[in-house]
Amino acid sequence: MTAPGPFQRALLPEGLRDDLPPWAEHEAHMVDRLMSVAAGRGYRRVAPPLVEFEDSLITASGQGQGQGQGQSQSRSQSMFRLLDPVSQKMMAVRSDMTLQVARIATSRMAGQGRPLRLSYAGHVLRVRGTQLRPARQFRQAGVELIGSDALEADLEVIALAAEALTDLGIKGLSVDLVSPTLVPSLARQLALDLSTTEAARRALDAKDIAALAGFDKTVRDILTGLMQAAGSLDSALPKLERVSLDGQAARIRDTLVTLARALKERVPDLKITIDPGECRGFEFHTGVGFAFFAPHVSGELGRGGRYQVACPDGGQESAVGFSMYLDSLLRAVPVPVEHPRIYLPFGTGQEEARRLRSIGWRTVYGLVSVSDPAAAARAEGCTHLYEHGVALSLTADDEASEE
Amino acid sequence: MVSVPPAQSELISADQPQSDLVLALPKGRILQEAMPLVRAAGIEPEAAFDDPGSRKLQFDTNIPGLRIIRVRAFDVATFVAFGAAHLGIAGNDVLMEFDYPEIYAPLDLKIGHCRLSLAEPEDLAREDDPQSWSHVRVATKYPNLTGRYFAARGVQAECVKLNGAMELAPALGLCPRIVDLVSTGSTLRANGLREVAVLTQITSRLIVNRAAFKTYPDQVGGWVERFQTALGAADAA
Repeated sequence: MTAPGPFQRALLPEGLRDDLPPWAEHEAHMVDRLMSVAAGRGYRRVAPPLVEFEDSLITASGQGQGQGQGQSQSRSQSMFRLLDPVSQKMMAVRSDMTLQVARIATSRMAGQGRPLRLSYAGHVLRVRGTQLRPARQFRQAGVELIGSDALEADLEVIALAAEALTDLGIKGLSVDLVSPTLVPSLARQLALDLSTTEAARRALDAKDIAALAGFDKTVRDILTGLMQAAGSLDSALPKLERVSLDGQAARIRDTLVTLARALKERVPDLKITIDPGECRGFEFHTGVGFAFFAPHVSGELGRGGRYQVACPDGGQESAVGFSMYLDSLLRAVPVPVEHPRIYLPFGTGQEEARRLRSIGWRTVYGLVSVSDPAAAARAEGCTHLYEHGVALSLTADDEASEE
Repeated sequence: MVSVPPAQSELISADQPQSDLVLALPKGRILQEAMPLVRAAGIEPEAAFDDPGSRKLQFDTNIPGLRIIRVRAFDVATFVAFGAAHLGIAGNDVLMEFDYPEIYAPLDLKIGHCRLSLAEPEDLAREDDPQSWSHVRVATKYPNLTGRYFAARGVQAECVKLNGAMELAPALGLCPRIVDLVSTGSTLRANGLREVAVLTQITSRLIVNRAAFKTYPDQVGGWVERFQTALGAADAA
């Protein structure tokens, strides 16, 4: 065994990291911006605890489409568990805050009027990262609109998300609308067996037309049609309308079309794409799902959609929500530059320091008298030096920003 | 009186929107078969692409805003999955091995035909009963794919990852069985091995990064269509 090196203490477990200046502040600032956009639209913030009893985290929310068990399983596999020494019950660390918000909505806030608009932000922890997002701890922030099945609710949440992301300075934002219930509904209508349905889903998720070769012609034509009806709204919508669907599947398609059109009208600047056949990652949704993207950022910036919340009395409430993940978002926003900080040499009056802060400066006070205050200011990472009542810029070539 | 601090937004460096698309092509055997399709789709790489002496890794094309990179077959999938390349050509052996959720494979290019097979020495194959296996030890470049294939058949596969010359493994006692690409089977025969099972048939696919497909639907979709057309023309010929 090798002797522990001097840096061994700095080694963090896989998927965990320290955030340093200016990133830590930047991330907090981004969460604040999102929360204030949500607050501005009447969403009230809730803050559930980091750790809960395992059972409530697994079964808190929605069993849409009879997939409740799979959902519980996949969520339970993603959670860290620990035994509560006090109650001797198993607890779990949250891996997704939406479950907790749903729990609050259907328990402590069950008596409040509907629809209920809630927002949340906090850290989550997962057992495993993904290929694209190796982080195991990251911040999740979002909104939930619970207790309304109106299409207007979907529209409100998507528009809010778009506004928040644009507000953060993301360029070329686009949203992809999906209909995760369409393929399961089709499978029921066409009486496809389980393995055929699974093969169809895999093919659609990979957009692999070749994999449909062995399918019955009617099924193949529909699935191929759905696959080809993926893309920008203007080109894909006519293709989607041509796919021959009836009954429930047709109604699901119509919902997507109506929502896409309404969204285009509501947020004309937002780039909209549709992908009616895609299900992956939206297995628990019971209506339209959506994901936000930005050019040259790998992976999603945030996602959401409509789902069912299970109530303690056995009933269900329809809800629509949006979550964003700060680790992905940080890769999409402009690089933060340190907020200007001004170095006040030792002996600068406290009254003067207060006045500088009151007009927006961040002051760094010299603790001892030094011969070269500019050097001391640079060493402290200051952008400016306060000298003779003037803020001298230390960063650019340009000289003092006068009076 | 000192002035107020400069607004933070003034300090933020303007981000350079980089709108180039990158097409990742695999080095080696597949490239020979893929280039006619790439050219038929209207993409002509710069001269250095065909110059064996060139040390370049990235190549401009006749299409402004479209570059080509040439990397190992396995790396094509990785570049595309992470969005470092937006389009690529990769065999479904590679796609199945990684099973990246961020890759779409919209087009079977019908090139690079071969199969992924399990092979073992002739002597072993004569008296072997695959039904009796509970555990196999296999040398392969595809540990995930192999593991999944056997797991689905109730067999636990212990995979020894090799990057080439799989056929040596049985002869030198590394492990009795291999899972490897087979096109004619002559390499297997020359090494005294017999193909006992086909895990999957293989062709190369045009692959697309999911986020690129969502953010540049018309551009990326346009390239898929051009390859589709090129493929149709190649089929007709």
